[in-house]
Amino acid sequence: MISLQHFLFIAAVLFCLGIYAVITRKNAIQVLIGIELMINASILNLVAFAKYDVINNNGQLFALFVIVLAAASVAVGLVIILNFFKRVKTIDPNKANSLRG
Amino acid sequence: MGLLSILIFVPLLFALMILLLPKKYSQSYKYFTVAVAVIQLAITAYLYYQFKTGTAFTGVNQLDSYQFKEYLPWIRLDVGKFGALQIDYLLGVDGFSIPLLFLSALVMLIAALSSWEIKENHKGYFSLMMLLNTAIMGVFCALDIFLFYVFYELMLLPLYFLIGIWGGVRREYAAIKFFLYTLLGSVFMLLVIAGLYFSVIDPVTGNHTFDMVHMMNPQNYVPDGIFSFLAHQDILGIPARLLGFIVVFIAFAIKVPIVPFHTWLPDAHVEAPTPISIILAGILLKVGGYGIIRIAYSIFPDVALNLSFYIGLLGVVSILYGAMVALAQTDLKRLIAYSSVSHMGFVLLGLASLTSEGISGAMMQMISHGFLSVMLFFIVGVIYNRVHDRYIYNFRGLATHMPIYTGFVMVAFFASLGLPGFSAFIAEAFSLIGAFNSESINGLIPRWMAILGSFGILLGAAYLLWTLQRMFFGQLRVKEESWLIKLKDLNAREILTLVPLAFFAILLGVMPSLVFNIINSSVNQFILLFT
Amino acid sequence: MDSIINISNQMVLILAFLLICAPLISFFFSLIFKRFASLIAITAISISFIAAIILFIKVWFSKTLHFSIPWIAFNNFDIRLGFLFNDLTVLMLLLITLIALLVHIYSVEYIRKDKLKPRYFAYLSLFCFSMLSLVLADNLFLIYIFWELVGFSSYLLIGFWFTKEKAVSANKKAFIMNRLGDLGFLAGIMIMLSHFHTLDIDALFGSGNLIASSFTSNGMWVSPFNMMPDYWLTIAGLCFFAGAAAKSAQFPLHTWLPDAMEGPTAVSSLIHAATMVAAGVFLLVRIAPLFNESVLIIIASIGVFTAFMAATIALTQNDIKRVLAFSTISQLGFMMLAIGVGDEASAIFHLVTHAFFKCLLFLGAGIIIHELHHLKEKHQLQFDEQDMTFMGGLFKSMPITAIVFIIAAMALSGLPFTSGYLSKDAILISVFEWADVKGGVFWIFPIIVSLTSWLTTFYIFRVVFKVFFGDFRLPQLLEADHHQFKIHEANVWLKYPVMVLAVFCVTFVFSFQPFSLEASWLFNELAPQQHVGGIYHILVPIYINILSLGLLLITYLAYARNKFSFGLEQTWIFKFSYKQWYFNEIYDAAIVKPTLLKAKAYYWFDKNVIDGLVNSSATAIIHISSLANWFDVYIIDGLVNGVASVVERLNIWFRNVQNGKVQHYIVWMLLIMITFFIYLMIF
Repeated sequence: MISLQHFLFIAAVLFCLGIYAVITRKNAIQVLIGIELMINASILNLVAFAKYDVINNNGQLFALFVIVLAAASVAVGLVIILNFFKRVKTIDPNKANSLRG
Repeated sequence: MGLLSILIFVPLLFALMILLLPKKYSQSYKYFTVAVAVIQLAITAYLYYQFKTGTAFTGVNQLDSYQFKEYLPWIRLDVGKFGALQIDYLLGVDGFSIPLLFLSALVMLIAALSSWEIKENHKGYFSLMMLLNTAIMGVFCALDIFLFYVFYELMLLPLYFLIGIWGGVRREYAAIKFFLYTLLGSVFMLLVIAGLYFSVIDPVTGNHTFDMVHMMNPQNYVPDGIFSFLAHQDILGIPARLLGFIVVFIAFAIKVPIVPFHTWLPDAHVEAPTPISIILAGILLKVGGYGIIRIAYSIFPDVALNLSFYIGLLGVVSILYGAMVALAQTDLKRLIAYSSVSHMGFVLLGLASLTSEGISGAMMQMISHGFLSVMLFFIVGVIYNRVHDRYIYNFRGLATHMPIYTGFVMVAFFASLGLPGFSAFIAEAFSLIGAFNSESINGLIPRWMAILGSFGILLGAAYLLWTLQRMFFGQLRVKEESWLIKLKDLNAREILTLVPLAFFAILLGVMPSLVFNIINSSVNQFILLFT
Repeated sequence: MDSIINISNQMVLILAFLLICAPLISFFFSLIFKRFASLIAITAISISFIAAIILFIKVWFSKTLHFSIPWIAFNNFDIRLGFLFNDLTVLMLLLITLIALLVHIYSVEYIRKDKLKPRYFAYLSLFCFSMLSLVLADNLFLIYIFWELVGFSSYLLIGFWFTKEKAVSANKKAFIMNRLGDLGFLAGIMIMLSHFHTLDIDALFGSGNLIASSFTSNGMWVSPFNMMPDYWLTIAGLCFFAGAAAKSAQFPLHTWLPDAMEGPTAVSSLIHAATMVAAGVFLLVRIAPLFNESVLIIIASIGVFTAFMAATIALTQNDIKRVLAFSTISQLGFMMLAIGVGDEASAIFHLVTHAFFKCLLFLGAGIIIHELHHLKEKHQLQFDEQDMTFMGGLFKSMPITAIVFIIAAMALSGLPFTSGYLSKDAILISVFEWADVKGGVFWIFPIIVSLTSWLTTFYIFRVVFKVFFGDFRLPQLLEADHHQFKIHEANVWLKYPVMVLAVFCVTFVFSFQPFSLEASWLFNELAPQQHVGGIYHILVPIYINILSLGLLLITYLAYARNKFSFGLEQTWIFKFSYKQWYFNEIYDAAIVKPTLLKAKAYYWFDKNVIDGLVNSSATAIIHISSLANWFDVYIIDGLVNGVASVVERLNIWFRNVQNGKVQHYIVWMLLIMITFFIYLMIF
């Protein structure tokens, strides 16, 4: 029997992997992927907890919203990355320091 | 403005003149110095001649019977419940100070005459020397203890620079040692002076006073004063008067110097230029002896009486120890410096006996040592100026090469080893006689001290004759051949300097009453303090 | 008996002034007018001599005269300058001036070639001044003053040839040894002054005066002024004796006198034989009433021991002056012995006669040395002109010198018809009588003294025969031609003084009856009551002189004829005597070296301990202040700096947070959130 804990554990692992990718990767695409991983981890949590709201299915509903938003943000993010690459010829986020004081 | 003030401030005036004169006249400064010294010598000779003796002119603790007195209120500060601060410009001389004044003037003249050797920075040198002169004269004249202290400390400053700038190889070391050592003694004395001030009142005005003469009188002490005769106050569990005496005594013992406070002396003497050695030996050491008589003994007679044994013992130790160490010296100047320690021991021994012959002997010893040590240091200076060496083993048989010089050396050496006919003999003999008589008269110091002290005379003969034999007799031989040309016999100026010293040493040896008569009534009055 | 010529007391005073001032003035004038030094000195001493004669006639046989003027005054005593005339004074004055005059004349030739001649005469005058003043002085303090001054002039004269190494160490030794005795003298003066409040000899020792009125009882010594434990009486006596012993070269302070022979011979004869060394005897006679029984016995013992010791040493010495020096020591021992046995008159009598014959012996030796020195200079030789092994057979070439020398030698041995016969036998008789009274162990004294007397004969005739008889050994020893070395008789300057002195070695000057001591005018005046016959007066001279004559014969055979020799040269006894009983070595090892070592040790102590204490306290203060400095820099200032540096650290740290790196920000966010969560979980 697959219990809630299993979902939560998987989600946590996904989240951690995502955060690891965000912190360590030198590639903005990979950072974006990490973000996706984290978003998906949260989606998984939403879906898993939706089990306790069988009447309104708010969890499922939220999950859908998040998927849509995530897709949108990835699009925006990719565009930013593209422009960034165009400007400084790199996609390392640490090099994006032109705003640094 | 009395004669004493003139005596004190003439050199200061000339010091200012020297400072104001342009540098191109620097060769004339030494003549100024000589002129000042001659003026002072004339004044002191006049004072000595005019000095009256007798029971009406005893001095010591009788303010009225001091002579050539000058009085000016100096500092009057109202300090509330303590009354008014009373510091006076009070000068005067008695039998103890007048011979020393004359001696100082003479020694200053000799020092001025031997300053021809100074080659650099005349302006600084001669003005400092004039300042020193002022301070010295002031010390011997001051009757207000505050004034005394001012002059006393004022002596240190010029001496520090005179040794430290114009001195020998280790001059900085010697100057600092001398300065700190003396200062150490006198700083604590300042505390005692403050204590005395709060214990003594002027019987006329009712104020606290710094007048030393009032301090010698037990009636002038306030009953609960820290140094009161009657109150028996303690400081740190030691009777206050005892502590006060010891502090003051040590301050002056350093100056005298008395073993074991003597080690500044060889260094300072050796490093100082000749005129300063002369002043140190001729006058500075006497300031110590004078201070012991005038302040330590006169203000604390009760304690001095109790400590006589130990003071006599210190005297004997100084005599023998100084002589023994002198016997081991190879540097002529250092030998003479240690012989000073030995000779000044007689002063202490004679003083500790508290007999009239002992104290007269001690005074005589101070004066005689003044002449003789000056002569000895001048003699060392003669050789040192010529070849810049004083090591005894480097010279031999100088008698054939410098006969006049050797003649004076023999006079000086035999005078200092106490040959009759010279003042040192009279002085040492009466110091010892006084010390010996003490047991019969007042029982203060035992007879063996006098007998032991007389061995100092024997040792004195040993080291001086050894030097004479080693340096002046035998076949002529010096370290370097070139010295023979440099070692010229005395010139006229040097002879002129040595002759008066030898003359006075002989004069006082033949007619000691010239001094004894002058100091006699003061000595008797002084002894009355202890009964 | 009244004085023969009548002069007033004031005249006496003037004469006395003249007597002492003439040499003093001569001292200065000789140094100033160098060309006339000898003339000035001789004139001065002649004036003194004439004054002494007049004074002698005035005072001898009459009462004591005393003049004084105030000098130094203190509360309880005063010291005056004054003259004291009594028999002793005028006798000594006459003796000193006469001998000094002769020696001055003798010196003119003796010192003629020396370029320091003026200085020589100046020193000689200084000595005469001091010695005459010493004799005239009326109190102990003045005596002490001139006592030291004669020591000083002796110092100058011993070291007259100051380029000679031996001379200058000899004069140092003489002065320091005399100083040692003088300390005793000074201590004695202190005791007398403390006890009697005066130093006036007349007041102290005159008949019925202070010494007489003091007494000892219950272990205390009581004077009209004072009381002291009675051992101070003995100490006082011994102190004065110490002074006298040093000046008169008595054991244990005798070793300076033989060394003093480094001075010119004329000086040795005047100062170290006739006058100055006798000052000790003179002093003891002046203060004789002071001595108590134990002091007298000590004086006698030291006297007899010194006499014997010096005589044994004189037996073996080869230096002619050294023999005479030890002979002087020995004879002074006789005088001390006489004082010790309470016979001051004999002591003074012997002093007078001894002065003449010993002076003559020295001057005679001086002539020989002088002539040999000439020979040495003339022929450029290398030998010691004082060594008797180079002499011999000189009688032929200098008969007058030889004759006067032999007369003096006879006087020294105390043979009949000489002055020594009277004075020496006077002492011997006194010693015998004294021992007779004391009895027992005190018989040692006459035995030793007789022995010494014979030794005296032996050693002096050894000199006589070695020098004047036999063959002249110098040519043999130098392997030179005999005729090359001609020794001449002395010239007039040297000859006449010794001839005058020789006259004074004969009995008839002192007594018209050659075998009767009591008939001597001099002795009679000094001691009218003593020696009134007795068995010893007959026996002692006979037995002493017969043996002496026997010894004379033996020495003649041994040294003049070389019939036999004693063959003792290799034995320890000979060496012991030759090395002067090893006193110099013992003193050097026991006193001089330890004192110098001690002086070095004291200096080390001074430099390292006392001065070290001063310097180390200075160093300690420097260390303390550098400690304070460290505390100031690192603790107090460090606190202030520390706050600043902490803020600065924080600043750097916080600045690093905002480095513009997105991922860092994320890490920070994460960390803060985790911290926040942990915080929530715990609390």
